[in-house]
Amino acid sequence: MSRLVAELPAPTGTEPVRAGRRRRSRQERLAYTILLPALGTVFVIVTIPFVLAIWQSITSDDGTLIGFRNYTRALGNPLFYDALRATGLYALIVLPTEIALGLGFALLVHRAVKRPGLRATLYVLAVLPLVVPPVAVGVVARLIYAPGYGVLNYVLQSVGIAHSEIQWLSEPLLAMGSVASVDIWQWTPFVYLVLFAGLQTVPRESIEAAQVDGATWWTQFIYIELYYLRPLFLLILFFRMADVLRVFDHVFILTGGGPGTATQLLSLYIYRIEFRFFDGGQAAALAVMVLVSISVLYSLVTRALPLERA
Amino acid sequence: MRFTRRWLVAIRVALVVAGLGVAAFLYAFPLYWLVATSLKGKAELYQSITLFPRHPTLESYSSVLFERGFWVLLKNSVIVCAATVLVTLAVGLVITYPITRLTVPPRLRVGVLNWALSLRFLPPVAVVVPYFAIVRTLQIYNQPIALIGIYSLFNLPFAIWMLKGFLTEIPIELEEAALVDGANRWTSFRRVLLPLAAPGLMAAATIVFTFAWSEFLFALILTATPNAQTFPVGVQGLVTQFEIIWNDMAASGVIAMSVPLVLMVVARKYMVAGLTFGVIREK
Repeated sequence: MSRLVAELPAPTGTEPVRAGRRRRSRQERLAYTILLPALGTVFVIVTIPFVLAIWQSITSDDGTLIGFRNYTRALGNPLFYDALRATGLYALIVLPTEIALGLGFALLVHRAVKRPGLRATLYVLAVLPLVVPPVAVGVVARLIYAPGYGVLNYVLQSVGIAHSEIQWLSEPLLAMGSVASVDIWQWTPFVYLVLFAGLQTVPRESIEAAQVDGATWWTQFIYIELYYLRPLFLLILFFRMADVLRVFDHVFILTGGGPGTATQLLSLYIYRIEFRFFDGGQAAALAVMVLVSISVLYSLVTRALPLERA
Repeated sequence: MRFTRRWLVAIRVALVVAGLGVAAFLYAFPLYWLVATSLKGKAELYQSITLFPRHPTLESYSSVLFERGFWVLLKNSVIVCAATVLVTLAVGLVITYPITRLTVPPRLRVGVLNWALSLRFLPPVAVVVPYFAIVRTLQIYNQPIALIGIYSLFNLPFAIWMLKGFLTEIPIELEEAALVDGANRWTSFRRVLLPLAAPGLMAAATIVFTFAWSEFLFALILTATPNAQTFPVGVQGLVTQFEIIWNDMAASGVIAMSVPLVLMVVARKYMVAGLTFGVIREK
């Protein structure tokens, strides 16, 4: 029976020396001849847009330099702060909920479900939502929350919880909740899978020793399992935060950023500036600011990520 | 004593079952509702909501695919995704082969991998503005090639990390044996390494295909007509209409998710490894 495990990097410097000096230099030359053209091409293709974004952000449409005027306009736009607030609120709802639920289910299944067949089934079920196109998830959410034909109102009314139709998508907070619920639906399984795999790496001996010493399931979790899960929490947090910044599809389908700007996340905001207001300069300035903040954040956190880079 | 312990066990089992049951329901119901709605006929839409379709029919599927002509978008999606897979894997192999099979300075290898990883965190919307300008300058707006290029670029980090994982697992001695027997590098790559890496390549191909299949933002921005529009763009068109035809919309959703779901049954083992850049592996 195959099982998922978390593979954390081994300490560096353990790699055996493989070949003699002369062969290595010949191999190295071959490596460079294969690698450099491909890498160079990709690097140029990746870098051009950045340069172009910077260029667009400091010029006007006819190509004259205008300094930082686009940046001051971007920073002076009150909608920008609405977008930041919406993105922050979205992250604050989505990340803790997904981590709490994912951790809860990982612990539940780890402790209570021992049958390998059932574990394998749960694995498959948890993988499925990850590949459903966000657009399709948006459609599902629309069928559930939409005014008039949404099934949630129908269920709530027929059970007697609600007496009139709840406007899920036109009350700012409810709309944010609806949009966030879609994210939670789709990504809690990811958190579950990662943390469940992490729990499999906890050495059985330490758990048994703790149990002999009379540890309850709670102390066992706090003092042993949590220690092994720490790097994975970091991984989840960072990956999911990067994802929050790219959320676009399901929000676009479900609310389109509305009502007003209540669910207009940063990605939808930049889209709107560029393709609704056709303000390329301001959009480029926003894009550059996002890129710079991501790069700074990335260089701060990346070393802490538990990735095998060798 | 024994009696209470048995009760405690029973309560715990009940709680576990209840927890998993609620989760299963919350997971399954939205999907059920999507399928159920897609099976309803036009007439049923204007009656009150029913939890089961009264007269299940495939009418909405034929309406979406043929009357609305979405089969063209489906075809576009398949072409774009297949081409993306080919380009991504080819470039991915060219980059990962030297850093995993040949002796290179560790710093170069780490540098390449780190750089690929950093691309994973690039929010697409931040480069939408320059890409739009580039695509219009190159006059490939509303053409599949624009999407193929961009999807290949955005999937390259996943491909590099997955291929690196698969290639390092193949013992280097096998290739060295072929080299000793007089094969050149290319032959040993083609005849020894590729067949051994085939399962891994298939897994990477499947995952790249599903990612490309789901992409929406660039498809929305860079296409305008069925000449290049992909299926998700069509789905979106059904949603934002003034009068939403619910069963057609649901059917388009079912079609959009069925392809990756079927593929995932094949590659499920590798999905989590791909998404976590190899931190979570199946043993």
